[in-house]
Amino acid sequence: MFDAIVVGSGAAGVAAARALSGTRSILVLDVGHRPPPLPDTEGTLNELRQHSPDLFHFLIGERFESLHNLHNPPVSLKLKAPLMTYILRDAATLSPHRATAFQAVMSFAAGGLANAWGAGVYRFTPSDLTDFPVTRAQLDPFYDDVGAHIGISGEDDDLFPLFGHEPVLQPPVQLSRFAADLLRGYRRRKPGLAAQGISLGRTRLAVLTRPHNNRPVYRYGNYEFFRPYDRAIYNPAFTLDELIAANRIVYEPRHLAASYREHSDHVEVISRHTETGEIQRFQGRTLILAAGAINSAKLVLQSNRDHDTRLPLLDNPMACLPLFRLNRIGQALEPSDSSLGQLNLICRHDGLVLQGSIYGGPGPLRSDLIFQLPFAIGANLSLLRRLAVATGLLMMFYPCDPVAGNDLRLAPDGVLEIRCGTKPLLPARDVLLKAMRSMGCVASAAMWQYPAMGAGIHYAGTLPMRTQPGRYQLDPAGRLSGTRRIFVADGAAFPRLPAKNLTYTIMANAARIASSIPFEAL
Amino acid sequence: MTEPPAPTLAAEAEAFHLAFFHHPPPAEVVERYIAANLHCLGESALDPTSSAVVRRHLDPEAVELVLRLRGPSRLTQKIQILFYLAEVRSENYGFFASQGESLPAALLALIASVLRSAWKFLKGHYLVRRYRLV
Repeated sequence: MFDAIVVGSGAAGVAAARALSGTRSILVLDVGHRPPPLPDTEGTLNELRQHSPDLFHFLIGERFESLHNLHNPPVSLKLKAPLMTYILRDAATLSPHRATAFQAVMSFAAGGLANAWGAGVYRFTPSDLTDFPVTRAQLDPFYDDVGAHIGISGEDDDLFPLFGHEPVLQPPVQLSRFAADLLRGYRRRKPGLAAQGISLGRTRLAVLTRPHNNRPVYRYGNYEFFRPYDRAIYNPAFTLDELIAANRIVYEPRHLAASYREHSDHVEVISRHTETGEIQRFQGRTLILAAGAINSAKLVLQSNRDHDTRLPLLDNPMACLPLFRLNRIGQALEPSDSSLGQLNLICRHDGLVLQGSIYGGPGPLRSDLIFQLPFAIGANLSLLRRLAVATGLLMMFYPCDPVAGNDLRLAPDGVLEIRCGTKPLLPARDVLLKAMRSMGCVASAAMWQYPAMGAGIHYAGTLPMRTQPGRYQLDPAGRLSGTRRIFVADGAAFPRLPAKNLTYTIMANAARIASSIPFEAL
Repeated sequence: MTEPPAPTLAAEAEAFHLAFFHHPPPAEVVERYIAANLHCLGESALDPTSSAVVRRHLDPEAVELVLRLRGPSRLTQKIQILFYLAEVRSENYGFFASQGESLPAALLALIASVLRSAWKFLKGHYLVRRYRLV
């Protein structure tokens, strides 16, 4: 019998397993899809596209994977290239769902959805932790430990009050010309922007600019849309592989946890082998659910045979604004580039703190975008070609609190029903537009785009932590109410979502929960 | 009698490639175009509108613009497939990526592109009506 069975190998699962490994016996149950063998690529993507006669197999794929959105419900452009499709593989069959006004994205890959994340890492401030039964002081040692493990680059600048102190901070990634221009524009207009509640600064990224833990520095190859496992960009699968290689965990891939049963002295997890269909049972003194906010909730409902209860579901609503800088029109592409977030923008508005990520650099294929513009194809191509270096994208994230009507339920046929009945309010767009213009960008209110709810892929809040938890809620130690041995370590535990990527906090909280399990008392 | 798909699709690949990239497509692009059409569009791969555009040597850019602005169009999907296949070849790099030009030259080119778009729209409108393409 294992001390703990961890379900899932995403950010939460590996953080919990790592916190316990070395002192406890750990079993990680996971479906664990991996990418296909990765080709050796020399130089940057831009160089490759100029000099390799034919990149069909790399960029389009034998089964025309990159054409996915032409004939299927659309997925993020970061998830459809042939080497990236493993991230969503089998999600529709392993966790079928029906969604209303919600775009749910699930991954059964080793490392989970962080295989395609933006790598933004932000500590939650005490204000972000409002409604959490956990304080920043309780989380800080775990942030420190996780941060030292994954490696974080960035800079203490105007965003310091919101991002906080990071004991070890590598130098920030190099800015694209677009982002550098924008930052200069911000510095010139800082007093006026500050009066409007706007701050701009460098993104904190789990991306290495100095070698760290046997991982290399980021090379600005701009492969983020096409090639996974850049070892400079943290992926929980790296930690998983380290733990496996060091024999600090037992890893069982190709296992889909179906349900659990708690006994007086252990927990039994029933899983199905994804290739043979064989049902297997595993026993542990404790169970740590880390399958993601949606699938951990499904496991809990399934184990309770509950087809009635609706659990809350959170995700950050989003609004996106394309930005242009006229002075850069027509310039050649930068040979070295990056599709990582370059800058963060904070907007304080009516008591809310909103956060935006600014991306520059031409990441996806032009063919993904040409047919979205309103002109003839030749004109669209001319625009995209000449504006590539002059274009950026502001992706604004809004905080999310539980709202009636935004929830999930396990239907009697075993399918998850996810619904979003409340249209989010997206305030401050006028303020943001004005701010971007004052920093030298051309932008128009007509260009705001509103991705569907769920597109933020910051799912949380299904089994929230409370000081006095009710049914399907967690106590501050992450223990599921009414149980002794069941803990939930992923985003399901968050009672609310500030406007920030939650992965760093998920990892810190998962490590905290795992570290505080009172094994001796069980 | 149903048209055999491969020759029809090959003719589309050649006509569209020539129209947008000004040179005939390499054989593997034609093969991939046929396979991609069958993979993505299935039975709809043979599209009467696209076939008519090719058979009558009409301007695909003009017709596509008008159809796209009216709603989803099979012709748009087909041309998009060809663009994906063309974009990943280095011989077409210059069509997709700027290799540098002065700001005034770029602005003039953009203005010309938008004006040309207006012309294409009028032309497409005429062609769609003249040949009853929808």
